[in-house]
Amino acid sequence: MSDAVKVENASGSSSIRRSSTRSRTRRKKKNQLPIGIVVFVLILLAGAYFGFQSASLGLQWILGISFGFILQKSRFCFTASMRDPYLTGSTSITRAVLIALAVTTIGFTAIKYGYYINGLPIPGMSYVVPISLATIIGAFVFGVGMVIAGGCASGTLMRVGEGFSMQVLSLAFFVIGSLWGAHDFEWWSFHIISKGPKVFLPDVFGWFGAVVIQLLIILCLYMVAVKYEQAKTQD
Amino acid sequence: MKEYVIDSFGEACPVPLIKAQNKIKEIEVGDVVVLQIDHSCAMKNVPEWARKDGHNVEVEEVDDGEWEVIIEKTH
Repeated sequence: MSDAVKVENASGSSSIRRSSTRSRTRRKKKNQLPIGIVVFVLILLAGAYFGFQSASLGLQWILGISFGFILQKSRFCFTASMRDPYLTGSTSITRAVLIALAVTTIGFTAIKYGYYINGLPIPGMSYVVPISLATIIGAFVFGVGMVIAGGCASGTLMRVGEGFSMQVLSLAFFVIGSLWGAHDFEWWSFHIISKGPKVFLPDVFGWFGAVVIQLLIILCLYMVAVKYEQAKTQD
Repeated sequence: MKEYVIDSFGEACPVPLIKAQNKIKEIEVGDVVVLQIDHSCAMKNVPEWARKDGHNVEVEEVDDGEWEVIIEKTH
């Protein structure tokens, strides 16, 4: 996740000898700063409006904008994290995703444990769903789809915001696919999903054990990623 | 020295990357590939791959949201 991609300036500081002069005759770029300032003010105004409607709506607006900004600046691409090891041998994004998973593991456990020791209902338990064949099939189909579409959910949304027209198409079919999925979900749920085991790690290993085991698995995957990259770049 | 221009406008990653990889394989040492992209992700993974592979790489923003990745084959 380094910003090794340094954009060279147009004044010809290039060290690569080039035969054509085609790239020297370029259009003058528009100054995007005024647009940026207007958009920023609009974001603040909308945030204030949402904030007065309800506090959580305002928070969601700010979080959403921040997520989008970080996603765009960091090029944090879940598709690339799964695809680049195979394509380029680079696991830098894969490792970034693993670090993110480790951080969320600790954060979510802290939140859930906080509710648990106070005897309150643990939030987010509706996301503890059965593991079944449907998980594997779904993951595989989603994986194929996101590589073809050139982005996962967050990546597609981010690039629609950047104005990349091809992924507006991806987004449209993403919505259609999601609706179709929601339509058929009951059938899958009844016939396959509900038959699988429902695992909440703290129930099995205890709260401390669950965190340690999950972090150990992530650490193992991280080390595999490092070794894999070394092996790939040596040949 | 030859210069090859690959038009990858409108193509999502990883298509520009694969095109660049294939082109680099078939050209001779010292030749230059100019990859034209407008996909911001390709702007990251193409130079990253090319640098790791040991080639000379430069990125130029030729217009708002349009880049040229210039790769010189070194080996």
